[in-house]
Amino acid sequence: MTPKKRQKYEAIIQKSLELFASKGFYNTTIPDIANSLKMSVGNMYNYFKSKDILAKEIIQYISVYLGQKIKEINEEDISTKEKTTKIIKMYFETASIKPEMIDYFLRIYLSNREVFVDSCQGMICVNEFVTEIMIYFEEGVKCGELRDQDFFSAFGLFMGYLGGMVFLKGENILPKELDEYVEDISNNIYKALSV
Amino acid sequence: MIKLIEKIEGEATLDFNFKDEKIEFVDIKFNSTRGVENILKGKNALDALVINPRVCGICGHAHLIATVKALESCYKDIKISKKAEIIRELTLNFELIHNHFKWFYLTLFPLFGFKQEVLKASYASQLMGKAIATFGGQYPHTSYAVVGGVVCDVTSMDIVKIHSYIDETIKFFEKNVIDVDVEKFILCDNVDMALNSEGDLPKILKEIYEKEWLELGKSYDRFIVFGGNSYFKSGKSHKTRVSKKLPFEYVKEEKNKSSYAKNVSFKDKYYEVGPLSRAMLKKIPLIKDSHRRYGDSILSRILARVCEMAQLLNHSKALLKELDISEASYIEPQVDISKISASGVGAVEAARGSLIHKVELEEGKIKNYEIITPTQWNLAGGSRENQGISQKAMVGLKDEKIAELVFKTFDVCSVCTTH
Amino acid sequence: MKKLKVLWLSALSCNGNTHAFFNYPNLEYFLDNFEFIYHPVIDSEYSLEDIVCKDIECDILLVEGGISDDFLRANTPILDIIKKYAKKVKKIVSVGTCASFGGIFKGGAYNDVTGLFFDEEKKIDRLEEFRDKAINVSGCPVHPDILVNTLFSIKQELKLKLDNLLRPKEYFAYSIHNGCTRNEYFEYKVDNHKFGELEGCMFYEHGCQAPFTHGSCNKILWNEVNSKTRAGLPCMGCTEPSFPRENLFSTKKNMGIPQELPLGVNKRTYLTLAGITKAFTIERLQKKLIDD
Repeated sequence: MTPKKRQKYEAIIQKSLELFASKGFYNTTIPDIANSLKMSVGNMYNYFKSKDILAKEIIQYISVYLGQKIKEINEEDISTKEKTTKIIKMYFETASIKPEMIDYFLRIYLSNREVFVDSCQGMICVNEFVTEIMIYFEEGVKCGELRDQDFFSAFGLFMGYLGGMVFLKGENILPKELDEYVEDISNNIYKALSV
Repeated sequence: MIKLIEKIEGEATLDFNFKDEKIEFVDIKFNSTRGVENILKGKNALDALVINPRVCGICGHAHLIATVKALESCYKDIKISKKAEIIRELTLNFELIHNHFKWFYLTLFPLFGFKQEVLKASYASQLMGKAIATFGGQYPHTSYAVVGGVVCDVTSMDIVKIHSYIDETIKFFEKNVIDVDVEKFILCDNVDMALNSEGDLPKILKEIYEKEWLELGKSYDRFIVFGGNSYFKSGKSHKTRVSKKLPFEYVKEEKNKSSYAKNVSFKDKYYEVGPLSRAMLKKIPLIKDSHRRYGDSILSRILARVCEMAQLLNHSKALLKELDISEASYIEPQVDISKISASGVGAVEAARGSLIHKVELEEGKIKNYEIITPTQWNLAGGSRENQGISQKAMVGLKDEKIAELVFKTFDVCSVCTTH
Repeated sequence: MKKLKVLWLSALSCNGNTHAFFNYPNLEYFLDNFEFIYHPVIDSEYSLEDIVCKDIECDILLVEGGISDDFLRANTPILDIIKKYAKKVKKIVSVGTCASFGGIFKGGAYNDVTGLFFDEEKKIDRLEEFRDKAINVSGCPVHPDILVNTLFSIKQELKLKLDNLLRPKEYFAYSIHNGCTRNEYFEYKVDNHKFGELEGCMFYEHGCQAPFTHGSCNKILWNEVNSKTRAGLPCMGCTEPSFPRENLFSTKKNMGIPQELPLGVNKRTYLTLAGITKAFTIERLQKKLIDD
């Protein structure tokens, strides 16, 4: 992809995320997205052959984005406790700066599985993200900080908690900003996962 | 005079004490041990399945089967399928046959002044190795028998293959060793008949007759067999008395001052173990005849070991027919071994005789392990007053070369003896 | 044709290598090319006492078993016998894992058991001056083909490429996983292996070390017919300096992720590929291979 095309590609993803968040996934059509970007629908289809493909590529885009952020944290020479705080901080920051991204991840990807069933079997579309979480867990156990347990028991706890907080924030229920919860939540998660 | 005995999976020394030009006492020394029982301490129970075959390069499979039986006996309730039982018995049979071929052509032949038959030994033992490997993956040193069964599944083609290995071995045995049909040989009840052919066994027997060694190597005439199975009968016999009950608590191991081989007794008496004992308890006609005429001499001992090849080859064919491949090879134990705190014993018949493994588990870890090998029964030395089985067999001989022959008819294995 | 003279010494061992060697299919051909001046089973011109006392010509020294200062053969320290012949031979071959790295009898009756040139993966100086003659053919036991072909390559004066543990690369550059009949279950991450079945891969649950163990067990089969992993037994890693590890029938995992990964594959690569393959269900690998 040329840099110019890449730019356009990312712009489409960004605009789609915004529209999905405001209008809902099913209420947003490809022409809607094209219109708001001042693109022809025909040109739009040069980038994404269908809405399902767009939906899938968006989830992959987010997975790569978050995966890359966690990878940077994983590669730092710090304790698992510190990594825990940093990952949570990064996640909440993303939720604050790009709420539509986390919103898509939580609401659309997880609650519209039928859209993803053919092209996103298992966790294939969020591989980058999950891989980094696995590495964070695995290294935590290996260095003796985290308790060895089934991956999904730990993953569910971690993601469920963060997702729940972002959800509460999105529903305007949280009295404080997300970043003010980072310390407590990091402590809670670390305590729950540590040996 | 001290003689170094070698080519016995390690070495031993025999210190001959003569009186009036006759051997009065032989101090048998095994000079090294690897301390396998200590290595096992603290290890996870299942690791014993990998460590124990390495007790011995020539009969390691018997150590595997004894280990798995000892571990399984720690369970209150464990299911092993008939299929797994048969497969285990088959591979153990194959190891015994393989051992006997090696002993016959590599050890016995030179003792009678014949050239060692390396290629005959390797040809036949390789066939048996292939048969074991078909089930177990490799030979030596597989750990394919695990708590709950065996790891392999078996296809009908595997059975076809194993059949061919057995048949090929029988053909080789008939052509080279006995020079008659195996079926006929098994039914033979007269030592004289076994002499009347051109095979390698008659060749040895004729030497024994010619040299007038018929009465050579007699010991206490006491026999014991612990590892009964679908073929072997467990029990002990002395003269005409036979008893079937053999509580393990009467088996006693005792440290030896001058040798790493601990001697072992049953109710404070030494017993011979091995093919001769098995044949006596199983009442094999040919061996009974030999024993009636010549007692527990080298003739009976040699004949029993060779005869056992025929019996086991034949029995294995029958066992293979019983194998129902639709059964499960492995039934997962209800309780994980890490939850088991108990003691267990496993006894099998190895090539050289009864092999006993005793284990004590604490939450799935080995707290104690005791291995009692056949060669301890036969070869570990006793005192002058109460001599061991092979010591007794050498008393009264004039020539230490003949004494070595007698000693080696027990099929010596140094690594097993001291482990 | 001149036969090479070979001395086979057993140190602290079970003699399993001796008997594995006996499974070499073409023993006659071997014996046409080599002559044992001493062997633990095969009759030789010299006795062990001759080997110790006399000055006997020798081309290759084979040692099986671990080494200890206190271990004697024929009343002589094994190290003295080894040194005596190490000086005169062309090559010293450590046969099996005990002689190569110390092996299974470490921590038993002798407290200083090592291989000839290594204590596990650490170089040691017991026989340092002879290191340039050393070849390790590890394995518990050694694979007969590997041993015999190594000896032939010495006879033919081929230049063998050795790995950093002095093992011939032609055999030890491979992983045991290469050629395993259960490979598809590994590649597609079908992780429900049960003992007693033709199907499934022992890597996930049952401690199979094949993907990270060097050797050729599935390339040149055992007894010409099979291998442990094909039969359904996990690879125990017996060619490696770490043999035997602990808890051999179960896979060490951290949060469900195997601690040891295939040779040369980094964790990120492994997890990414695993994540992708795990996403798919391959029906053929979910059912019995040979069904009704």
